[in-house]
Amino acid sequence: MTVTSLLQILMQDKQYRDRIAHVEVLPEREGSFASLSPELPEELASYLAARHIRLYSHQCRAVEAIREGENILLTTATASGKTLGFMVPVFEQLIQDQDATALFLYPTKALSNDQLKAAKEIEAYTGAGTDAAIYDGDTPQARRSAIRGHSRLIITNPYELHQVLPWHHKWAGFFRHLRIIVVDEAHRYRGIMGSHIALLLRRLQRLCRFYGSSPRFILASATLANPEEFARHLIGMDFTVITGDGSPRGRKYFVLYNPFFDGNGSRSTHQETKGVFLAGLDHGLQTLCFTSSRRLAELIARWSREELERSHPGWDNAVVSYRAGYLPDERRAIEDRVKEGVVRGVVSTNALELGVDIGSLDAVILSGFPGTLLSTWQQAGRAGRRGGDSVAVMVGFQNPLDQYFMHHPATFFSRTMEHAIIDETNPYVLAGHLLCAAAELPFVVERDSPFFGESSETVLRSFEACNLVRRTPHGWIYAGRGRAADAVKLGSLTSETFKVVCNGRVLETMDRSQAFREGHRGAILLHGGETFLVTELDLEGHLIRVKEMDVEYYTEPIKTVDLTVSRVIQQVCRSDVPLRFGEVEVSEQYTGYRIIRGGSVIGYESLELPPLQFTTKAFWFEIPDRIMDAMEYAGDTAGGLHGAEHAIIGMMPLHVLCDRWDIGGLSTPCFAATGQPTVFVYDGHEGGIGLAEKGYTLFGPLIRTSYELVRDCSCTSGCPSCIFSPKCGNDNRPLDKNSTHILLREMNAVLEDRNAQHS
Amino acid sequence: MLPESPFCTAAQIAEQWKKNVAGLQEYQVIRDGSVFRAHLADSFLFHSEYQKALRLREELLERYKGKELDEVLPGEEVETSWGTTFALSTTLPCDPVKRVSIDGKELFSDLTMVRGIGAATARHLKGRGYQTVKDLLHHPRFRTGAAHLIERVQSGDPYAIQECIETRYPKSHPRVLEVSRFIEPSNFLFIDIETLGIFSRPIILLGIGRLIKGQTVIQQFLLRDPAEEPAAIAATLSALNEEGSAVVTFNGKSFDLPYIRDRAAFYGASVREKIPHFDLLHFSRRTFRGMYANYRLTTLERHLFGLERSGDVPSQLVPEFYEAYLTSGNPGPLIPIIEHNRQDVLSLIRLYHRLIGDVA
Repeated sequence: MTVTSLLQILMQDKQYRDRIAHVEVLPEREGSFASLSPELPEELASYLAARHIRLYSHQCRAVEAIREGENILLTTATASGKTLGFMVPVFEQLIQDQDATALFLYPTKALSNDQLKAAKEIEAYTGAGTDAAIYDGDTPQARRSAIRGHSRLIITNPYELHQVLPWHHKWAGFFRHLRIIVVDEAHRYRGIMGSHIALLLRRLQRLCRFYGSSPRFILASATLANPEEFARHLIGMDFTVITGDGSPRGRKYFVLYNPFFDGNGSRSTHQETKGVFLAGLDHGLQTLCFTSSRRLAELIARWSREELERSHPGWDNAVVSYRAGYLPDERRAIEDRVKEGVVRGVVSTNALELGVDIGSLDAVILSGFPGTLLSTWQQAGRAGRRGGDSVAVMVGFQNPLDQYFMHHPATFFSRTMEHAIIDETNPYVLAGHLLCAAAELPFVVERDSPFFGESSETVLRSFEACNLVRRTPHGWIYAGRGRAADAVKLGSLTSETFKVVCNGRVLETMDRSQAFREGHRGAILLHGGETFLVTELDLEGHLIRVKEMDVEYYTEPIKTVDLTVSRVIQQVCRSDVPLRFGEVEVSEQYTGYRIIRGGSVIGYESLELPPLQFTTKAFWFEIPDRIMDAMEYAGDTAGGLHGAEHAIIGMMPLHVLCDRWDIGGLSTPCFAATGQPTVFVYDGHEGGIGLAEKGYTLFGPLIRTSYELVRDCSCTSGCPSCIFSPKCGNDNRPLDKNSTHILLREMNAVLEDRNAQHS
Repeated sequence: MLPESPFCTAAQIAEQWKKNVAGLQEYQVIRDGSVFRAHLADSFLFHSEYQKALRLREELLERYKGKELDEVLPGEEVETSWGTTFALSTTLPCDPVKRVSIDGKELFSDLTMVRGIGAATARHLKGRGYQTVKDLLHHPRFRTGAAHLIERVQSGDPYAIQECIETRYPKSHPRVLEVSRFIEPSNFLFIDIETLGIFSRPIILLGIGRLIKGQTVIQQFLLRDPAEEPAAIAATLSALNEEGSAVVTFNGKSFDLPYIRDRAAFYGASVREKIPHFDLLHFSRRTFRGMYANYRLTTLERHLFGLERSGDVPSQLVPEFYEAYLTSGNPGPLIPIIEHNRQDVLSLIRLYHRLIGDVA
């Protein structure tokens, strides 16, 4: 088959062979089927029979668990019949109890529409009489009451649910009979969004209990390192995790391709990506290439077409680019042409990894590590046809994570996924949802704090002091002037948002810290693949004015960080290294920005902005004198501390799902309060979102991987692959690789020693 | 290390949310005379009105500085099943009205009241000797419809009769209002409420007007603190849920009554479902179509009764006036709210008599 001939070329041709860091063979697998006892209701069984569907073992386990009244989390791979995995148990419940209702929560409208189609198909065949419907911002006013009154399967999104809950009495009938709540794409609800959704779902559960129902949850998510923990934080109940995947799979080759095998790289990563993409097409493989931006998708598609015109006349329509912003009809047309095989190659932004419905292909190319293992496997999962071989190629970039994987393929393939973190105790988010809850039903502390945590009463008392809530014989009630649900914006910490405006058109919104970072005067802003210059940041009016401008440069903000510790929550001493986790006050001051073209700084501009101050959570460790002495011997100590801070922050996303802007750091040879050399890593969001806390508990693996990163990087004095950080507010100065190496090595020795003692 | 101080942090967070909530504006202040923008905004105030109201609030805070609420507002505490509420009562002589009683005869002479009969059929039927609905009891086709109507009307249940008429006539038709003649005047509740906003927030004042023995009695349940809302709701519910009561409001079908139902449900109580309700806004639109600038109650009372309010608080600013009272403890800003509400109830009563034509 052609997959093997492509592999042969990659392994042997001198253009490629040095770049092949690793080839992993993922063996084929037979489908594993099971049957149910008692059997499914007749309507449902005959629907499956008519579609020639046999249930896989994991799908049967889902049905059984729901029958047992358990909450389940389905974490199975792409194309493993996940939708059916929850549709079958839901329909079984809806058929057996003609009053029962089910609520589906989807993060986007496009996904809601796909789901409605799936539900309607089952409904039409089985005659389940569910009147499945979408209820969201697009639902006409005239239809709403009928949907609330008659539909037994309602699909909505978190934003709509947030608006619906205050009107719960109109939903009394639906909530009273609510049997199952399906939360698909649950892994998307992490970080701040996770805190919000967790509390939104607590509000929903409280209302359900008021109406006398206690619905079960079905969560569906990509594979995670901590599925039980994640589900418990998101929902607040225990879950049965169904991980096994009974679907059949062909053999798959996963290639790690490193253009920087020699530490330099002779061509741009994009040229390299294009080369591999064309090689795939050349071998007759239908190939999908994921890129990090829309512009790159278009660029790689164009380069490839140009080259194909020369090498394969008549193939010029064989490659398309696929990105967000297409109308549904255009999208469908592309999808159909791919399925028919007319289109041989697709270049897509990785933002679309979930929305694409183009079936499975022979080859997938990942231009750079997509940021998370979770996305990596979802994208790579696009390759693989039943009964045939397939190949996935990941082209490494010159940054710490990509290079870490290129050098540690065993880690890459053996790693369980990242931890998805939800902190439902973030005091700001919690407080906002308590206001909403108190506006929905009087809040009775003894009855309701199990949903919202022990601190609820303290928060309510503080609200009483500023007239936002009142205590009545019925419980705490909301007594503010504005609508509580309007004050709480899902996905952000405060309702303070800045609008990015171009010629009177709002492009996007930003929170305050993002506005300072990316929306300051002179900043170059990327939006939908286009570049914009910020002409004004109006702090009073909460406006960021931009104009479209094609520029060759980009900008990076320069900031200074000041930090004070307000309380230590936990601490532990590993040998002579004290490690702490606690609450800190951070003050970030953006002082200016650099203008960078082609990798070199061509100018500096200063900025006058007030400092951003916030309370958050951090973990930090102090470095004992003996390690400092060793570092001093090897090089510059400050450069070593700074380098270790960068390496640790660079490795955080390997362990927990987070965005690079979610975490910040500070390293100092002499921390003002203690006089000790200290490295801090903090959550970049007011109140904290649980990342630093997880970093504290995963400190050992975090230090080990950071150490391996620095040790195994082939550079001599630090490079973007190891300790240089693209987000460093100090222009990556001072940095000292030798000193960093010593620090991490000694830290790792301390921790491994400690671990050994424990085991 | 600093000592643990959760209270301090919680207080800061509460202050932050206070700011977030205060930032939510449910009305817009627009330049005087900017009619175009007035059409765009859902709720707006002209700049001069806004300034005037702010001045009023300052004056009141100054005038009633250091005064206690019960010195300024002579009310009494009323015990309810849900705690104590503060009630203000006003008794005024009633405007002279001559009340026309009704026995259903007029309804029965209108054949179109029967399902399936339009104006043309009615004329045809009258030509053939069917003068009243009762005659139709012998008609082969309309027998059932006629019997249904007669049964409803003779039951004397105003809600059922209103339902019957509303299936045959527009809801703002005078015939719908005529149904109120089936109701004892002392059973009317003329209701108007003041709230902290548009839905899902406390009601701060509930005004109920009644016609008792030739007098107009207005009772207003004021929340001295939002914590007294359950008690005020309980007092209102006991009137609403009384057998035979009927409600008269201005825009109450969209606002006041659903709001009361919502707040009652919030505390786990409910308002009787089948309560006859006459929303005078709809009858006014029909009766006074095109005659005045708009159908606000203040506009109608100015034209119809020559009333001119002074020292009034615009409805949009009621929440802010109440908040000024809550934060300062100064009862001054409550005074125009109470006066505004009382005047609304009084005008509601006069408007009812005007619309139904019982003015002496």
